[in-house]
Amino acid sequence: MLIPRRVKHRKQHHPGRSGMSKGGNAISFGEFGLQALEPAYVTNRQIEAARIAMTRYMKRGGKVWINIYPDRPLTKKPAETRMGSGKGSPEWWVANVKPGRMLFEVSGVSEETAREAMRLAMHKLPMKCRFVAREGGDI
Amino acid sequence: MSDEILIKAEARTEFGKGAARRARRAGKVPAVIYGHGAEPIHVSLPGHDAMMALKQANALLTIELDGTKQLALAKDVQRDPIKPVIEHIDLVTVKRGEKVVVDIPVHVEGQAGPDTIVQLDAPTLSVEAEATHLPESITVSVEGLAAGTQITAGEVTLPQGSALAVDADLLVVNVTAQISAEALEADLAESEGGAEEAPAAEEASESE
Repeated sequence: MLIPRRVKHRKQHHPGRSGMSKGGNAISFGEFGLQALEPAYVTNRQIEAARIAMTRYMKRGGKVWINIYPDRPLTKKPAETRMGSGKGSPEWWVANVKPGRMLFEVSGVSEETAREAMRLAMHKLPMKCRFVAREGGDI
Repeated sequence: MSDEILIKAEARTEFGKGAARRARRAGKVPAVIYGHGAEPIHVSLPGHDAMMALKQANALLTIELDGTKQLALAKDVQRDPIKPVIEHIDLVTVKRGEKVVVDIPVHVEGQAGPDTIVQLDAPTLSVEAEATHLPESITVSVEGLAAGTQITAGEVTLPQGSALAVDADLLVVNVTAQISAEALEADLAESEGGAEEAPAAEEASESE
Protein backbone atom coordinates (compact mmCIF):
# COMPACT_ATOMS: atom_id res chain seq x y z
CA MET A 1 0.00 0.00 0.00
CA LEU A 2 1.25 3.51 -0.81
CA ILE A 3 2.45 5.43 2.24
CA PRO A 4 5.13 8.11 2.68
CA ARG A 5 8.27 6.78 4.32
CA ARG A 6 8.88 9.96 6.31
CA VAL A 7 7.11 13.29 6.53
CA LYS A 8 8.05 16.75 7.77
CA HIS A 9 4.91 17.12 9.89
CA ARG A 10 2.91 14.12 11.10
CA LYS A 11 -0.35 16.06 11.45
CA GLN A 12 -1.40 18.53 8.80
CA HIS A 13 -4.36 20.79 8.13
CA HIS A 14 -7.02 19.39 5.85
CA PRO A 15 -6.07 19.87 2.18
CA GLY A 16 -8.14 22.41 0.23
CA ARG A 17 -11.02 20.96 -1.76
CA SER A 18 -11.80 23.82 -4.12
CA GLY A 19 -10.70 24.42 -7.70
CA MET A 20 -9.78 22.32 -10.65
CA SER A 21 -6.73 20.19 -11.24
CA LYS A 22 -3.85 22.34 -12.48
CA GLY A 23 -1.77 19.58 -14.03
CA GLY A 24 -1.81 15.86 -14.64
CA ASN A 25 -5.03 16.26 -16.63
CA ALA A 26 -3.89 14.44 -19.74
CA ILE A 27 -2.83 10.89 -20.54
CA SER A 28 0.96 10.84 -20.23
CA PHE A 29 2.08 7.21 -20.13
CA GLY A 30 -0.58 4.77 -21.30
CA GLU A 31 -3.28 4.59 -23.95
CA PHE A 32 -6.35 4.86 -21.74
CA GLY A 33 -6.98 6.73 -18.53
CA LEU A 34 -9.40 7.22 -15.65
CA GLN A 35 -10.16 10.89 -15.03
CA ALA A 36 -11.72 12.34 -11.87
CA LEU A 37 -14.81 14.49 -12.38
CA GLU A 38 -15.30 15.58 -8.76
CA PRO A 39 -13.01 16.61 -5.90
CA ALA A 40 -12.25 13.90 -3.31
CA TYR A 41 -9.80 12.60 -0.76
CA VAL A 42 -8.70 9.22 -2.16
CA THR A 43 -7.17 7.00 0.52
CA ASN A 44 -4.28 4.65 -0.09
CA ARG A 45 -6.65 1.72 0.49
CA GLN A 46 -8.97 2.93 -2.26
CA ILE A 47 -6.04 3.40 -4.65
CA GLU A 48 -4.83 -0.11 -3.88
CA ALA A 49 -8.32 -1.62 -4.23
CA ALA A 50 -8.75 0.07 -7.62
CA ARG A 51 -5.34 -1.13 -8.79
CA ILE A 52 -6.06 -4.70 -7.72
CA ALA A 53 -9.48 -4.63 -9.44
CA MET A 54 -7.90 -3.46 -12.69
CA THR A 55 -4.97 -5.89 -12.52
CA ARG A 56 -7.28 -8.83 -11.73
CA TYR A 57 -9.46 -8.05 -14.73
CA MET A 58 -6.63 -7.41 -17.18
CA LYS A 59 -4.77 -10.48 -15.88
CA ARG A 60 -1.31 -10.56 -17.47
CA GLY A 61 -2.22 -8.41 -20.42
CA GLY A 62 -1.47 -4.84 -19.57
CA LYS A 63 0.42 -2.28 -17.57
CA VAL A 64 -1.10 0.05 -14.98
CA TRP A 65 0.22 3.47 -13.95
CA ILE A 66 -0.94 5.15 -10.73
CA ASN A 67 -0.73 8.92 -11.20
CA ILE A 68 -1.74 10.01 -7.69
CA TYR A 69 0.05 9.56 -4.38
CA PRO A 70 -1.54 9.64 -0.89
CA ASP A 71 0.85 12.12 0.74
CA ARG A 72 -1.56 13.97 3.07
CA PRO A 73 -2.41 12.55 6.54
CA LEU A 74 -5.93 12.95 7.95
CA THR A 75 -6.41 12.68 11.71
CA LYS A 76 -9.31 11.41 13.80
CA LYS A 77 -10.13 11.75 17.48
CA PRO A 78 -11.22 8.53 19.20
CA ALA A 79 -14.95 7.92 19.72
CA GLU A 80 -16.59 9.28 22.89
CA THR A 81 -13.76 11.70 23.56
CA ARG A 82 -14.31 15.18 24.96
CA MET A 83 -13.28 18.05 22.74
CA GLY A 84 -9.88 19.60 23.28
CA SER A 85 -6.65 17.90 24.38
CA GLY A 86 -5.03 18.45 21.05
CA LYS A 87 -5.37 17.08 17.56
CA GLY A 88 -6.28 13.44 17.01
CA SER A 89 -3.92 10.80 15.71
CA PRO A 90 -3.25 10.19 12.01
CA GLU A 91 -5.82 7.74 10.69
CA TRP A 92 -5.67 7.87 6.88
CA TRP A 93 -3.30 8.83 4.10
CA VAL A 94 -5.07 10.54 1.24
CA ALA A 95 -4.39 11.99 -2.18
CA ASN A 96 -6.13 15.32 -2.64
CA VAL A 97 -7.79 14.84 -6.03
CA LYS A 98 -9.41 17.69 -7.92
CA PRO A 99 -11.66 17.49 -11.00
CA GLY A 100 -9.79 16.72 -14.21
CA ARG A 101 -6.99 14.74 -12.59
CA MET A 102 -5.90 11.58 -14.44
CA LEU A 103 -5.90 8.94 -11.69
CA PHE A 104 -4.81 5.78 -13.47
CA GLU A 105 -3.53 4.92 -16.91
CA VAL A 106 -3.31 1.57 -18.66
CA SER A 107 -1.74 0.28 -21.85
CA GLY A 108 -1.19 -2.99 -23.64
CA VAL A 109 -4.87 -4.02 -23.68
CA SER A 110 -7.81 -3.50 -26.03
CA GLU A 111 -10.21 -0.62 -25.45
CA GLU A 112 -13.01 -2.95 -24.30
CA THR A 113 -10.76 -4.59 -21.71
CA ALA A 114 -9.45 -1.22 -20.52
CA ARG A 115 -12.97 0.19 -20.30
CA GLU A 116 -14.23 -2.72 -18.20
CA ALA A 117 -11.13 -2.67 -15.96
CA MET A 118 -11.61 1.06 -15.39
CA ARG A 119 -15.31 0.55 -14.67
CA LEU A 120 -14.41 -1.92 -11.94
CA ALA A 121 -11.81 0.52 -10.57
CA MET A 122 -14.36 3.39 -10.55
CA HIS A 123 -16.49 1.43 -8.09
CA LYS A 124 -13.61 1.43 -5.59
CA LEU A 125 -13.20 5.22 -5.71
CA PRO A 126 -15.15 7.88 -3.78
CA MET A 127 -16.00 10.19 -6.70
CA LYS A 128 -17.40 10.22 -10.22
CA CYS A 129 -14.83 9.37 -12.87
CA ARG A 130 -14.79 8.79 -16.59
CA PHE A 131 -12.86 6.66 -19.03
CA VAL A 132 -10.74 8.56 -21.55
CA ALA A 133 -8.70 7.42 -24.52
CA ARG A 134 -5.48 9.06 -25.68
CA GLU A 135 -6.74 10.49 -28.94
CA GLY A 136 -9.66 12.31 -27.42
CA GLY A 137 -12.21 9.97 -28.93
CA ASP A 138 -14.18 9.32 -25.79
CA ILE A 139 -14.80 12.58 -23.97
CA MET B 1 -2.26 16.39 -44.83
CA SER B 2 -2.04 19.60 -46.78
CA ASP B 3 -5.75 20.49 -46.64
CA GLU B 4 -5.94 24.01 -45.37
CA ILE B 5 -8.80 24.95 -43.10
CA LEU B 6 -10.13 28.47 -43.47
CA ILE B 7 -11.17 30.27 -40.28
CA LYS B 8 -12.47 33.82 -40.25
CA ALA B 9 -11.01 35.73 -37.30
CA GLU B 10 -11.97 39.01 -35.70
CA ALA B 11 -9.42 41.37 -34.19
CA ARG B 12 -9.64 41.71 -30.40
CA THR B 13 -9.56 45.21 -28.97
CA GLU B 14 -10.23 44.49 -25.30
CA PHE B 15 -8.09 42.18 -23.20
CA GLY B 16 -8.02 40.52 -19.80
CA LYS B 17 -10.08 37.76 -18.22
CA GLY B 18 -13.33 39.76 -18.30
CA ALA B 19 -13.13 40.34 -22.04
CA ALA B 20 -11.94 36.76 -22.64
CA ARG B 21 -14.87 35.37 -20.68
CA ARG B 22 -17.33 37.59 -22.59
CA ALA B 23 -15.85 36.27 -25.85
CA ARG B 24 -16.17 32.66 -24.68
CA ARG B 25 -19.80 33.25 -23.63
CA ALA B 26 -20.42 34.53 -27.18
CA GLY B 27 -19.10 31.23 -28.57
CA LYS B 28 -15.68 32.57 -29.56
CA VAL B 29 -12.18 31.48 -28.64
CA PRO B 30 -9.50 34.07 -27.80
CA ALA B 31 -6.30 33.45 -29.74
CA VAL B 32 -2.98 35.08 -30.50
CA ILE B 33 -1.01 34.90 -33.75
CA TYR B 34 2.75 35.40 -33.70
CA GLY B 35 5.91 34.34 -35.47
CA HIS B 36 8.62 35.51 -37.89
CA GLY B 37 9.53 38.39 -35.57
CA ALA B 38 6.23 40.20 -36.19
CA GLU B 39 4.13 41.88 -33.50
CA PRO B 40 1.59 39.47 -31.99
CA ILE B 41 -1.98 39.86 -33.26
CA HIS B 42 -4.82 39.21 -30.79
CA VAL B 43 -7.87 37.69 -32.44
CA SER B 44 -10.99 35.76 -31.57
CA LEU B 45 -11.98 32.70 -33.58
CA PRO B 46 -15.41 31.08 -33.97
CA GLY B 47 -15.51 28.42 -31.22
CA HIS B 48 -17.06 25.55 -33.18
CA ASP B 49 -14.89 26.04 -36.26
CA ALA B 50 -11.75 26.19 -34.13
CA MET B 51 -12.73 23.05 -32.24
CA MET B 52 -13.45 21.10 -35.45
CA ALA B 53 -10.19 22.29 -37.04
CA LEU B 54 -8.10 21.24 -34.05
CA LYS B 55 -9.50 17.70 -33.99
CA GLN B 56 -6.85 16.98 -36.60
CA ALA B 57 -3.28 16.88 -35.25
CA ASN B 58 -1.04 19.65 -36.65
CA ALA B 59 -3.82 21.10 -38.79
CA LEU B 60 -2.69 23.86 -41.14
CA LEU B 61 -5.06 26.78 -40.69
CA THR B 62 -5.68 29.74 -42.96
CA ILE B 63 -6.67 32.65 -40.76
CA GLU B 64 -8.59 35.37 -42.58
CA LEU B 65 -8.37 38.69 -40.77
CA ASP B 66 -9.66 41.92 -42.33
CA GLY B 67 -9.40 40.48 -45.84
CA THR B 68 -5.83 39.20 -45.45
CA LYS B 69 -5.06 35.51 -45.24
CA GLN B 70 -2.28 34.03 -43.13
CA LEU B 71 -1.14 30.42 -42.77
CA ALA B 72 -0.76 29.27 -39.18
CA LEU B 73 -0.20 26.18 -37.08
CA ALA B 74 -1.58 25.68 -33.58
CA LYS B 75 1.39 25.84 -31.22
CA ASP B 76 -0.46 25.57 -27.92
CA VAL B 77 -4.10 24.86 -27.14
CA GLN B 78 -5.49 25.48 -23.65
CA ARG B 79 -8.48 23.28 -22.92
CA ASP B 80 -10.83 22.99 -19.97
CA PRO B 81 -9.81 19.85 -17.99
CA ILE B 82 -13.40 18.57 -17.85
CA LYS B 83 -15.55 20.20 -20.51
CA PRO B 84 -14.76 19.82 -24.21
CA VAL B 85 -14.08 23.55 -24.48
CA ILE B 86 -11.06 25.35 -25.92
CA GLU B 87 -10.07 28.32 -23.76
CA HIS B 88 -7.22 29.84 -25.76
CA ILE B 89 -5.12 29.07 -28.84
CA ASP B 90 -1.57 30.13 -29.67
CA LEU B 91 -1.06 30.20 -33.43
CA VAL B 92 2.34 30.47 -35.05
CA THR B 93 2.54 31.87 -38.56
CA VAL B 94 4.19 29.77 -41.27
CA LYS B 95 5.06 30.36 -44.89
CA ARG B 96 4.64 28.07 -47.87
CA GLY B 97 7.73 25.93 -48.30
CA GLU B 98 8.98 26.71 -44.81
CA LYS B 99 10.19 23.75 -42.76
CA VAL B 100 8.77 23.46 -39.26
CA VAL B 101 9.29 21.05 -36.36
CA VAL B 102 6.07 19.44 -35.17
CA ASP B 103 5.10 16.50 -32.94
CA ILE B 104 3.51 13.72 -34.99
CA PRO B 105 1.45 11.01 -33.24
CA VAL B 106 2.85 7.46 -33.40
CA HIS B 107 0.48 4.56 -34.11
CA VAL B 108 1.35 0.94 -33.43
CA GLU B 109 -0.05 -1.73 -35.75
CA GLY B 110 0.16 -5.48 -35.83
CA GLN B 111 0.24 -8.19 -33.17
CA ALA B 112 3.46 -8.77 -31.28
CA GLY B 113 4.59 -12.28 -30.36
CA PRO B 114 2.81 -14.38 -27.72
CA ASP B 115 3.11 -13.43 -24.03
CA THR B 116 4.34 -9.91 -24.74
CA ILE B 117 3.21 -6.40 -23.84
CA VAL B 118 3.76 -3.57 -26.32
CA GLN B 119 4.57 -0.26 -24.63
CA LEU B 120 4.52 2.94 -26.61
CA ASP B 121 7.21 4.94 -24.83
CA ALA B 122 7.06 7.94 -27.16
CA PRO B 123 3.45 8.66 -28.20
CA THR B 124 4.66 11.49 -30.44
CA LEU B 125 7.84 12.06 -32.44
CA SER B 126 9.27 15.45 -33.33
CA VAL B 127 9.90 15.67 -37.06
CA GLU B 128 10.93 18.45 -39.39
CA ALA B 129 8.71 18.78 -42.43
CA GLU B 130 7.35 21.31 -44.85
CA ALA B 131 4.53 23.28 -43.24
CA THR B 132 2.15 22.61 -46.12
CA HIS B 133 2.91 18.88 -46.24
CA LEU B 134 2.91 17.75 -42.62
CA PRO B 135 2.46 14.02 -42.07
CA GLU B 136 -0.69 13.01 -40.18
CA SER B 137 0.83 10.12 -38.23
CA ILE B 138 3.73 7.69 -38.09
CA THR B 139 2.97 3.98 -38.11
CA VAL B 140 5.21 1.45 -36.41
CA SER B 141 4.63 -2.26 -37.03
CA VAL B 142 5.21 -4.66 -34.15
CA GLU B 143 4.01 -7.74 -36.05
CA GLY B 144 5.56 -10.87 -34.55
CA LEU B 145 8.15 -9.04 -32.43
CA ALA B 146 9.55 -11.01 -29.50
CA ALA B 147 9.91 -9.84 -25.90
CA GLY B 148 12.97 -7.65 -25.42
CA THR B 149 12.69 -5.94 -28.79
CA GLN B 150 13.11 -2.18 -28.75
CA ILE B 151 12.37 0.18 -31.61
CA THR B 152 14.19 3.50 -31.48
CA ALA B 153 13.38 6.72 -33.32
CA GLY B 154 16.17 6.05 -35.82
CA GLU B 155 14.56 2.74 -36.83
CA VAL B 156 11.14 4.24 -37.52
CA THR B 157 10.23 4.73 -41.19
CA LEU B 158 9.27 8.37 -41.54
CA PRO B 159 6.84 9.67 -44.18
CA GLN B 160 8.43 11.11 -47.30
CA GLY B 161 9.73 14.65 -46.96
CA SER B 162 10.16 14.56 -43.19
CA ALA B 163 13.31 14.28 -41.12
CA LEU B 164 13.75 13.28 -37.52
CA ALA B 165 14.18 16.20 -35.10
CA VAL B 166 14.97 14.15 -31.99
CA ASP B 167 17.80 11.88 -30.91
CA ALA B 168 17.86 8.71 -33.03
CA ASP B 169 18.38 6.65 -29.85
CA LEU B 170 15.03 7.76 -28.36
CA LEU B 171 13.01 4.68 -27.39
CA VAL B 172 9.68 4.63 -29.21
CA VAL B 173 8.29 1.12 -28.74
CA ASN B 174 9.34 -1.38 -26.11
CA VAL B 175 8.14 -4.98 -26.31
CA THR B 176 8.35 -6.63 -22.89
CA ALA B 177 7.46 -10.06 -21.58
CA GLN B 178 4.19 -10.50 -19.74
CA ILE B 179 4.36 -11.20 -16.03
CA SER B 180 3.90 -14.91 -15.33
CA ALA B 181 0.55 -16.09 -13.95
CA GLU B 182 2.21 -17.29 -10.73
CA ALA B 183 4.02 -14.00 -10.16
CA LEU B 184 0.81 -12.05 -10.80
CA GLU B 185 -1.16 -14.19 -8.35
CA ALA B 186 1.59 -13.88 -5.75
CA ASP B 187 1.66 -10.08 -6.19
CA LEU B 188 -2.11 -9.77 -5.87
CA ALA B 189 -2.25 -12.13 -2.87
CA GLU B 190 0.51 -10.14 -1.17
CA SER B 191 -1.28 -6.83 -1.87
CA GLU B 192 -4.57 -8.13 -0.52
CA GLY B 193 -2.97 -9.81 2.48
CA GLY B 194 -0.82 -6.85 3.45
CA ALA B 195 -3.73 -4.41 3.42
CA GLU B 196 -4.59 -4.81 7.11
CA GLU B 197 -2.17 -2.48 8.78
CA ALA B 198 0.27 -0.05 7.27
CA PRO B 199 2.91 1.48 9.51
CA ALA B 200 2.58 5.20 10.15
CA ALA B 201 5.16 7.38 8.51
CA GLU B 202 7.93 8.74 10.67
CA GLU B 203 8.21 12.43 11.29
CA ALA B 204 11.47 13.98 10.19
CA SER B 205 13.42 15.42 13.10
CA GLU B 206 13.87 19.18 13.40
CA SER B 207 17.62 18.97 12.84
CA GLU B 208 17.19 17.45 9.36
